[in-house]
Amino acid sequence: MTRFLRLLLAVGAACGVFAPAGPSLANPPAKPLEIVFINPGKTGEVFWDMVAQSMQAAGRRLDAHVEVLTSERNYRTMQELGLGVVARHDKPDFLILSNEESAAVPILEAAEAAGVKTLLLSNTLIGEDAVRLGPPRQKLKTWLGDITTDLQTAGARMANALIATARAEKWQSPDGKIHLLGIGGDEITPASIARNAGLKLAVDAAPDVVVDRLLFANWTQSEAEQVTTNYLGWASRKEIRPAGIWAGNDPMALGALRAVVAAGLVPGRDIQLVGLNWSEDALREIRAGRLLLTDGGHFLLGGWSIVLLRDYADGCDFAAVSPRVEVKTSAITRQNLDSVRDLIKTRAFGRIDFARFRAKAGRCGDYDFSLDALISSLPVPEGAAD
Amino acid sequence: MRKDEAMTDPESNGPDAPRLRPVVRAMIWATVPVLLLVQLLASAGVEASSFWSQIRQLDARMARVAESRAELIAEPLWKMRYDQVTGVLNEIMHDETIAAAAVYDDTGAAIARVVARSEGPSIAEVSRPIHYSNGNMAAVQAGRIAIAYSHAALYANAGSRLVLLLVVGLLATFATLIAMRISANIFIGRPLAAMMSAIQRSKQDGRAYPAEVKSSNEFGQLARAFNAMQHTTSGALDRLGHMAGHDPLTGLPNRRSLTERLAVASRDGGRPDALVAFCFIDLDDFKGINDTFGHEAGDEFLVQISRRLRTSVEAEDWVARLGGDEFVVIRPEVSNEASAHAFAQQVLTAISEPIRLHDKQVVPRASIGLAVRRADDPELSHLPTLADIALYHAKSKAPGTVAVLDEALQRDYRRRRDLELAIPAGFAEGQFEVWYQSQVDLESQEIVGLEALIRWRHPDHGVIGPAEFLPLIERSGNNARLTRYVLTDACWALQRLAAAGRPQIRIAINLPPSELADHSLAAELRATCARFDVAPSLLELEITEGSLINNIASASQTLHRLRRLGATIALDDFGTGYSSLAHLRRFPLDKVKIDKAFISEIPDSAEDKAIVGVIASLAGTLGLTLVAEGIERAEQAEAMREMGVRFGQGYFYQRPQPLDAVLHGLEKRPAAETRVLADSPPIAPEFA
Repeated sequence: MTRFLRLLLAVGAACGVFAPAGPSLANPPAKPLEIVFINPGKTGEVFWDMVAQSMQAAGRRLDAHVEVLTSERNYRTMQELGLGVVARHDKPDFLILSNEESAAVPILEAAEAAGVKTLLLSNTLIGEDAVRLGPPRQKLKTWLGDITTDLQTAGARMANALIATARAEKWQSPDGKIHLLGIGGDEITPASIARNAGLKLAVDAAPDVVVDRLLFANWTQSEAEQVTTNYLGWASRKEIRPAGIWAGNDPMALGALRAVVAAGLVPGRDIQLVGLNWSEDALREIRAGRLLLTDGGHFLLGGWSIVLLRDYADGCDFAAVSPRVEVKTSAITRQNLDSVRDLIKTRAFGRIDFARFRAKAGRCGDYDFSLDALISSLPVPEGAAD
Repeated sequence: MRKDEAMTDPESNGPDAPRLRPVVRAMIWATVPVLLLVQLLASAGVEASSFWSQIRQLDARMARVAESRAELIAEPLWKMRYDQVTGVLNEIMHDETIAAAAVYDDTGAAIARVVARSEGPSIAEVSRPIHYSNGNMAAVQAGRIAIAYSHAALYANAGSRLVLLLVVGLLATFATLIAMRISANIFIGRPLAAMMSAIQRSKQDGRAYPAEVKSSNEFGQLARAFNAMQHTTSGALDRLGHMAGHDPLTGLPNRRSLTERLAVASRDGGRPDALVAFCFIDLDDFKGINDTFGHEAGDEFLVQISRRLRTSVEAEDWVARLGGDEFVVIRPEVSNEASAHAFAQQVLTAISEPIRLHDKQVVPRASIGLAVRRADDPELSHLPTLADIALYHAKSKAPGTVAVLDEALQRDYRRRRDLELAIPAGFAEGQFEVWYQSQVDLESQEIVGLEALIRWRHPDHGVIGPAEFLPLIERSGNNARLTRYVLTDACWALQRLAAAGRPQIRIAINLPPSELADHSLAAELRATCARFDVAPSLLELEITEGSLINNIASASQTLHRLRRLGATIALDDFGTGYSSLAHLRRFPLDKVKIDKAFISEIPDSAEDKAIVGVIASLAGTLGLTLVAEGIERAEQAEAMREMGVRFGQGYFYQRPQPLDAVLHGLEKRPAAETRVLADSPPIAPEFA
């Protein structure tokens, strides 16, 4: 009954019955939204902090109150928090979860029972859970969908950048091939697997390139430095000229960078490295010419998720295209570095005009979350937009 | 044999006897070293095989360790997590046998190296490739793992186990040795000792002692066989002992038993004042019975005599046969010498009962020498000798009687023994002297001959007559010597007679019976005569009938030879012995000398005169010259002459005298040589 009334209310809102008049929208928001986000990361963990901050910035722009609960990398805590939210008397409109270690599944099921709409962010259902529960809105009606990043493309883009540079610089080894080192975060999480698959995809398409090793460094800088040192030693004994190092995230790329320097190579001149995450340190190294690029920007999934839910609440369901929204990442190079450096450095996500990213009327589910679109949404250079 | 002696007499550890080597010890020496050696070799073999098996196991284990580590290390090595590689490698270092381990990558560079200890002896190494593969790629060799491990612990282990085995082996051998010693003692040593002890005891007194062996094994059987053999041997020894002490013909104790009996009697005789009567019995003329009836009958005769002896004495008396026809009867207790004599007489009487032999009555005759001594007499063992003295007397003086040993007999015996022992000295010192007694022509009263009579001038006993010492000479085997002595003296006397102008006087020599069997006598006589340059015809040889009887053929031969030399032969003492007329005819006799027994009663005894008359008439018929012996009175000489006896001899004319005295007497008488010579039968020597 309640669910039916809520649906009726939502339909009414979508139809603009209660929508107030907005400056740029035909249909003004019907009402402010209550959104809870269970943050799987730790307080101070850069990526998840930035996800939450972008989420809150978008909320402020799109009349949604975003409550962030941090599970501190403890999945038991995460489940307790999620179940607690579902059991609340005043239930939120939407609950945003990240299915890290598949810990969100019980919360999803509890939310279904409680009639709380859920959205999975960054990590969706995998494996047995995916088979058992099926796609969104079938078995779990309140599971609206998921918003994830296309990290495979990111991995391939990073590899292609290395290959292109090596080809241009003619960094082939005596065997005539371009030798790369891959450093993955791990071998089991979907986020890592996708990036690594991207690397493989790119290299398979390039017959003159070989990845000597895909090493794993547990996402950490120190381990990446260690394995890179080992690789460089091995390569020199094998008389291989290493042309590039592909790292699954920025800390690992920075660790590899330190190992390269320690091995007496000059990054950017003798060898190129790529990372992912748009981290501040990486941007600094890009600026110094020691890192070729850092891919990423997926912390903005937080903001984009609010955009999706705002549209959904307003009657423009993203499922019109697909309940599964995949957001492309973007590479920051020396060329576009300046545009986003301050944004990232200051985390002034309030400067992003999230309303601009909402779906156009009649084109529900059709979004452009590209770097170019982002840059153009920033207000600073007046003439740079469009 | 020496070995056997050593076996039966282990105490005889003389320089030649081999030292006793107990069989048990020899067995132990033969088996225990072999046992020890085999045990040690077997232990060492087992240990060596175990050692090599452990080596192989260790090698295999190390190979497995290397392979399993290679699998574990493959991924971290491939993914260049060298710290993890080191960690995995470190995990195997708790294995004490592993000395070092290393991992090399595909470039050959050492990625990880751990060393547990500095390299020691006997290090082995195992190396395995490290292959890496995942779903996306085929297996590649990521590197190599090498493990160095030590066999030292195995060596040390094997060494200590060898020592343990050695100790156990030695203990086992020692235990075996003890067990062998004990069991060998029980099963071998004891039965042997029991048999040895039985042998020792039986050696001491000759009786059978069974060996006490109860076991049913081979030694038990041996002991039973040994006991049975001892029993048999003992029975045989008993029989042998009985045979040694008894006469097989009569079953009486023999001489040996007599010696033992006397030894026992002198050791533990009855009452010290009791008298022991010892009768030494000799059957008279047993040889005649043998000759007449045969030896089997002789044996039967002896058996009957022995049976009589046994039945005629009391149970406590003791009868023995010493051999031949000699028996002994001992009465251990007689009251006095008279009763002993009566006992001997009683025995003699029992013997003298007639016996039937071949359906003929034979009357046994025996002489007994009786000696009586106190039971505590120290000379008890000499009783046989003493009785023999008496017997000698009986047989020589009164056959068929009992002669009791008395002081006189003993004295005689001692004198006889003295003389017997002095015979060699008598010859050596010229104590024997030849005296001469003249033979006179009863018609003319001329001395026609001399009879050489031997005398013994003993330094202690004085001049001894031939009747006493001639038997001794004969018994001591000196007859021939004495005969030659007399012959030599007679020839020398003939030489002197010739020198004294009496060359017609002949000398008569007595020939003992044994000399008639001597074929060399004639030759010697001729040689001696030649030496003294006298004619053998001047010698007259006197023989007795007895000497003719014993060896008729040989005597006849000798007499013919002597006669051919020219000597005359005279038959001495005619009338007392056989007085066989056949002898007078058969033998080549020239003279017969009538025994003085027939002369002494003449002329008073008409019988003797008749006998002499018959003899004279017979001699006349046969052409024999007669000589009367023992003429002591003139009427005897006259009677002889009247009865036709030609010559006489006796004290009436002349006592036997040394030659000088005879020659001295002759000097007083005129010679009448022609008659004597004419009287002598002219016998031409056939070989000169």
